Amino acid sequence: MGCSSSLPDRNSGRLGGLNAENGGAPDAKNLRVKLVLLGDSGVGKSCIVLRFVRGQFDPTSKVTVGASFLSQTIALQDSTTVKFEIWDTAGQERYAALAPLYYRGAAVAVVVYDITSPESFNKAQYWVKELQKHGSPDIVMALVGNKADLHENREVPVQDGIDYAEKNGMFFIETSAKTADNINQLFEEIAKRLPRPSSS
Amino acid sequence: MDASSSQPLTFYDFLDRMRNPASLDLVRSIKSFIVSFSFYAPNPENDGKRLQDFLVTMEDAIRDHPLWVGATEEEIDSAIEGLEKYVMTKLFSRTFAASPEDAKADQEISEKISLLQNFLRPEHLDIPAVLQNEASWLLAEKELQKVNAFKAPREKLLCILNCCRVINNLLLNAAMSENHILAGADDFLPVLIYVTIKANPPQLHSNLKFIQLYRRQEKLVSEVAYYFTNLVSAKSFIVDLDAKSLSMDAVEFQESMEAAREAHKAAGVKPSPALDRTATLAGQMDPGPSRKMWFRETDTRGLSNYPFMEAKAGELTVGDVETLLSLYKDVVTKYTNLCRAVKRLSMSKTETPVLVPLSEGTHASPPQPEGRTTNVNDKRGE
Repeated sequence: MGCSSSLPDRNSGRLGGLNAENGGAPDAKNLRVKLVLLGDSGVGKSCIVLRFVRGQFDPTSKVTVGASFLSQTIALQDSTTVKFEIWDTAGQERYAALAPLYYRGAAVAVVVYDITSPESFNKAQYWVKELQKHGSPDIVMALVGNKADLHENREVPVQDGIDYAEKNGMFFIETSAKTADNINQLFEEIAKRLPRPSSS
Repeated sequence: MDASSSQPLTFYDFLDRMRNPASLDLVRSIKSFIVSFSFYAPNPENDGKRLQDFLVTMEDAIRDHPLWVGATEEEIDSAIEGLEKYVMTKLFSRTFAASPEDAKADQEISEKISLLQNFLRPEHLDIPAVLQNEASWLLAEKELQKVNAFKAPREKLLCILNCCRVINNLLLNAAMSENHILAGADDFLPVLIYVTIKANPPQLHSNLKFIQLYRRQEKLVSEVAYYFTNLVSAKSFIVDLDAKSLSMDAVEFQESMEAAREAHKAAGVKPSPALDRTATLAGQMDPGPSRKMWFRETDTRGLSNYPFMEAKAGELTVGDVETLLSLYKDVVTKYTNLCRAVKRLSMSKTETPVLVPLSEGTHASPPQPEGRTTNVNDKRGE
């Protein structure tokens, strides 16, 4: 009270609504971002995240592993860190109407499909349109074609994914949660694209 | 989960510090904040915002306060937690399920759930057989039903987290022992919905709204926010639930709902055990549409003792001064005594429920509601 100028950190942390429960106030070098995962059930959303969370840095480290909420911090080359708080959503059709409750306030949306399922690719496009209509306008979106290891069953050409992502200003990557291919790249690439809070 | 930042004794610690003469300025602010609520008709969004602003202001005041010199972040944090609990317990009857709309929403959800309970099976939500574990579900249901037994937003939220933790453990165990592939939210949400329907937690709508508005905002983030959102989401699914929401034939759904309604009517079943309480609460707290109605309790009770309540300044004569002065003294004496009594009551330790801290282990230690025993522990081993 009456001393806001002498306490800039505390007040800025609160304004953003991001004051970490562990006291780690986020700043330009240590971001905390909400990432929401969307995609049909069975495309491997959770597998991607589990692979990312378990495979990072030290595989034996005890990370918060819930079944549907996970968080993981990555360090970038410019010595900044990004803590991803990953919100999984139920992909079954009957829960589609609930998605806005989850992507509200998300800084990142990762829309996942299965390269062996054109249906899941259609569903992914539905989510992209939803996010464009109702998501936060500066949300960072990534389109992910998962199960890239099953290329002999591929039904969605790589080029289709590339084209659609490009048209919608999204980052595109094909991953395999099974072989861990491109998993870390996905999250590192997202981290690089995050808008940085302007530092003084 | 992150909700366990406070130790069990922090609330007592907060009360102890408030008893210290040095905290008189804080006590004054808190009291005047609580009293200020009686000046306005209840308005949930406004009330919520005022509480949030107050907690922020008080955090600054506590940080700069001599009683907290050299305090760690954790100590500051538990002081604010104590403050939130204290204030919201005081304001509970005004802020919880305060509008007739809330009471109506609670009743509708509760009625719909009690109909669904008659015929809904896990298969209707395509819950895989490996996740159909009655013992785990029962434990999760009990946690959810406890939400209504607490007044403080943090404690209500803890019950929700405990429920979600039980479900998470179930999913993780299935993944480890049954080779069930972890499917994240695809598995979690349907189980939570089913558990919610089985539990039919009293005043679900009002509890969620209360937590949303009155839980300190910086604590309703991250993992806590995620699980809270899942229950909001489960509630929303249940409210909108129709034949298309289930793996069930539309005609069969309609017939089942109808049969359930008939069965309830025939049995004369009250739709939910919570409803009686809801109705009483709504009756007590219904502020009515206008200010006048809000004050009707004052009007009908003891008005005859204070004959000048309806008087206008112009109608008074010099002869009234003596009566007025004696009434004034009477009111002040009564008010002072009342304040003292209320203070003594509220500062008494016996009034507060004991909150068992959450352990980080596989099983949560659920908070125990005041004056209630549960048999949850009997089922732990399963």
